[in-house]
Amino acid sequence: MAGKAGKQSRPRKAEKDEEEQPLQAVLVADSFNRRFFPISKDQPRALLPLANVSMIDYTLEFLTSTGVQETFVFCCWMSSKIKEHLQKSKWCRPTSPNVVHVITSDLYRSLGDVLRDVDAKALVRSDFLLVYGDVVSNIDVSQALQEHKQRRKMEKNVSVMTMIFKESPPGHKTRCEDDDIIVAMDGKSKRILHYQRAQALKKLHFPMNIFHSGSDEFEIRFDLLDCHISICSPQVAELFTDNFDYQTKNDFVRGLLVNEEILGNQIHMHVTRDGYGARVSNLLMYDTVSSDMIRRWIYPITPEANFADQEGQSCTHSRHNVYREPGVSLGHGSQMEENVLIGRNTVIGANCTISNTVIGANCVIGDNVTLDRAYIWNRVHIANDVKVKQSVICDNVEVKHGVVLNEQCVLAYNVVVGPDITLQEGTVLSMHHPDEEDDEDEDEFLSDDDVGYSKDKTKQKGSCSSYFIMLFQNEVHGTLQRGLDENISCDNLVLEINSLKYAYNISLKEVMQILIRVVLEFPFQQQGAQISTAQYSSHLLPLLKKWAPVFKNYVKRPQDQMDCLASMEEVFLERETHWAALVKVLMSVYQLEILEEEGIMRWFKQSSTTGKSQQLRRNQGLLKFIQWLEEAEESSEGDE
Amino acid sequence: MPGADKETDLSERIESFLSELKRCGSGAGSLRGSAETARETTALLRRITAQARWGNAGELMEIIRKEGRRMTAAQPSETTVGNMIRRVLKIIREEYARSRGSSEETDQQESLHKLLTSGGSSEDNFRQHFTHLKANVIEAINELLTELEGTTDNISMQALEHIHSNEVIMTIGRSRTVEAFLKDAARKRKFHVIVAECAPFCQGHEMATSLCKEDIETTVIPDAAIFAVMSRVNKVIIGTQTVLANGGLRAVNGTHTLALAAKHHSTPLIVCAPMFKLSPQVPDTPYNHTKLKSVDTILYIHILSKVNAHCPVFDYVPPELITLFISNIGGNAPSYIYRLMSELYHPEDHEL
Repeated sequence: MAGKAGKQSRPRKAEKDEEEQPLQAVLVADSFNRRFFPISKDQPRALLPLANVSMIDYTLEFLTSTGVQETFVFCCWMSSKIKEHLQKSKWCRPTSPNVVHVITSDLYRSLGDVLRDVDAKALVRSDFLLVYGDVVSNIDVSQALQEHKQRRKMEKNVSVMTMIFKESPPGHKTRCEDDDIIVAMDGKSKRILHYQRAQALKKLHFPMNIFHSGSDEFEIRFDLLDCHISICSPQVAELFTDNFDYQTKNDFVRGLLVNEEILGNQIHMHVTRDGYGARVSNLLMYDTVSSDMIRRWIYPITPEANFADQEGQSCTHSRHNVYREPGVSLGHGSQMEENVLIGRNTVIGANCTISNTVIGANCVIGDNVTLDRAYIWNRVHIANDVKVKQSVICDNVEVKHGVVLNEQCVLAYNVVVGPDITLQEGTVLSMHHPDEEDDEDEDEFLSDDDVGYSKDKTKQKGSCSSYFIMLFQNEVHGTLQRGLDENISCDNLVLEINSLKYAYNISLKEVMQILIRVVLEFPFQQQGAQISTAQYSSHLLPLLKKWAPVFKNYVKRPQDQMDCLASMEEVFLERETHWAALVKVLMSVYQLEILEEEGIMRWFKQSSTTGKSQQLRRNQGLLKFIQWLEEAEESSEGDE
Repeated sequence: MPGADKETDLSERIESFLSELKRCGSGAGSLRGSAETARETTALLRRITAQARWGNAGELMEIIRKEGRRMTAAQPSETTVGNMIRRVLKIIREEYARSRGSSEETDQQESLHKLLTSGGSSEDNFRQHFTHLKANVIEAINELLTELEGTTDNISMQALEHIHSNEVIMTIGRSRTVEAFLKDAARKRKFHVIVAECAPFCQGHEMATSLCKEDIETTVIPDAAIFAVMSRVNKVIIGTQTVLANGGLRAVNGTHTLALAAKHHSTPLIVCAPMFKLSPQVPDTPYNHTKLKSVDTILYIHILSKVNAHCPVFDYVPPELITLFISNIGGNAPSYIYRLMSELYHPEDHEL
């Protein structure tokens, strides 16, 4: 009897143990993008002050108040500063309800790397919260957590992640435009069926299979603001390890949704109506979240609550949301109109007008200064008669008299702006030379935000792919060179080129084009660019013969032939002096049966856009060749 | 080392109490009544007295003052914390004086005569060491705790004197003291209660439901109807968050409206407040603890960035609008509050 009772109580106890696992969180204190450059060159983004409190403090406060008991903070850029800050803060006191572990590594390049590390170190035992270090929120996650746990219990481990969204009408200023998403979801089970970033897209496509999800309530929502808070199960870390190309959360979500039939994993969502959650992903969001904080939309996290428990940082809250820390002195006639936060020991001169501003500690502000939507950090000196509108002024800056800062200016650390200067809208002044950026690591940081930023996108994607293409080209050249030297068979060459294709993620079409290019330029590489046409042809033709099987492997369909010819055209257009060689090349290629008459004829007849290629087609040699080709065609048909 | 353990244990408890304070004010943690906060503060102070290291009364008072400052800074709107600290400081002073042997209690008060005759500081700043001081102080704190537990019952016992049959009583929001008061009277008398709902948190609804369970006839009215309905009301009975030093109140928002309407109709306004809510603060620093919790306010106002939404939680009610204070030591007029305060707190402790 006792034995049976024991057996009964044991599974129940195991269940209770499972439920009482302390809630863990993974905080990624690096955003893996350069949105806050050049400010974040001196100070990591997580430590930038928002209403005079470092951003990471807000995130930790959010986690602690929602019941997290163990947090892992992952840092990459300037990790020592973050570690130092955390160790001095109240989170690392022995009495803190939330135990904070700081994990640093210089090798993290994206969210994916962090989660792979989480999996490798086996840090999380059960469901955990995943947030970034610049999330400001007061959402109570416990309900979403309950739903998540319930779902996982009911259908064994099918639901992998619950994302938390906030209802927010489109165009609302708390919505970051880069982050706009359109979500298709199952209304009853709150499952995400389709997820897409909507920025700058005029048309949206939804795959048909989402409509066959088996439920009859289906919603497509554009009124959701991504809070960048997710409840993840331990499987998330495993999935990141399994799929090495998942780098960002976006990749992960889309990958899961696409592979849903194979793997059966689902993502759900939780929409909050009350509760505030936003991520400070760029300066505009910084402005918005700062002003929301001052206007108390993120209650109970308010400036006078001093939740970070800093000594001497408690401020008084007066009418019109004016907050003053101890030691502030205000000159005669100065007005703090509304929504102002002034840090400790700041001295403000006479007849100033201040509104919608945050001023840090130990600042000295002169007379007749107008500050509107300005964010001024610590130890800033502002002389008389300065006007600042919607700008950010970092630590230790000196602004001399008569300066006017128009909208959206940024003065980074230690800058001195001289007397009587007016800065245009959007000026960024920094002590760091802009070219310095390029000698940072060549590895790309991969983050969701980069995809959205339209101008940066083309530059970055272009530079990224052309960089890889360059590498690939060099590698192919090297392969062919070795093939020549060591007399490697064509099959092996094909194998090598294929593996290079996968390594550099090049498409088949590009492979062929680059191959043609490399081969055609081979003689130039070997013997210099000044060789005569005859020398060129004599060098090239044997090579073509030797590598014919390689070509045949890649040029199979008519389309491939067209691409091949286009590529050849490109190469020869660059080298006008060697057009005579083109004929010989075409002849030999034709004879080697790499290309067929139809292909060549079609290419020739193609109307070309540039003057140069038209000129190419009028080349005597080429015309003769085409004529011969036509006759040959006829004759071959005649033979048959 | 047991000593070190005790100290860390003590500081852990203080830290957890502080974070509870910070969170409970926001409603994120468990919502607490003032009585609970007062009890927990006193228990914590007793623990500090027992476990902290101090040699004489002066040191103990310093320790308590320091912790007290931190506690009041954590949640300034929760005045019961500060009140209990001042009570304990007064207890320490009394026990010290008793140990020294000066039996006249009137020694504590500053009087013109004393200033002239004694000259200079009279006390030796509490430096003398007494072996039984600790035990005495702890015993006195235990008495304070017992008193705290009995406050609501003491107040309810006076209900029958104030509420007569077939009366119409008006109240606002939800006060546990008033609820107990009315329920006690309802056992023997039949009367009607009108509850003003006190938007936007509408605590009046909970009050009405709870009163209904005791078979009291209750009506709920919106705040705007207070003035209109006042002509039919016999008495207004309200609770409060704090009783200020001048006899005024810091009560839930809407109370000032209620008080003005009552004055206009010459309806007596009775405030049920236990003694631990009495605070030496004066109303010159209006701390208007603003909250923004209502979903409706957020949804449509948040769209306009130029709009500021304010949601103040407390009102100041001046003493001339109040008729009577009912506390655990009996009924008093507002003009007598200053005297009661001088019995509870030492003037040097008004500023922690």
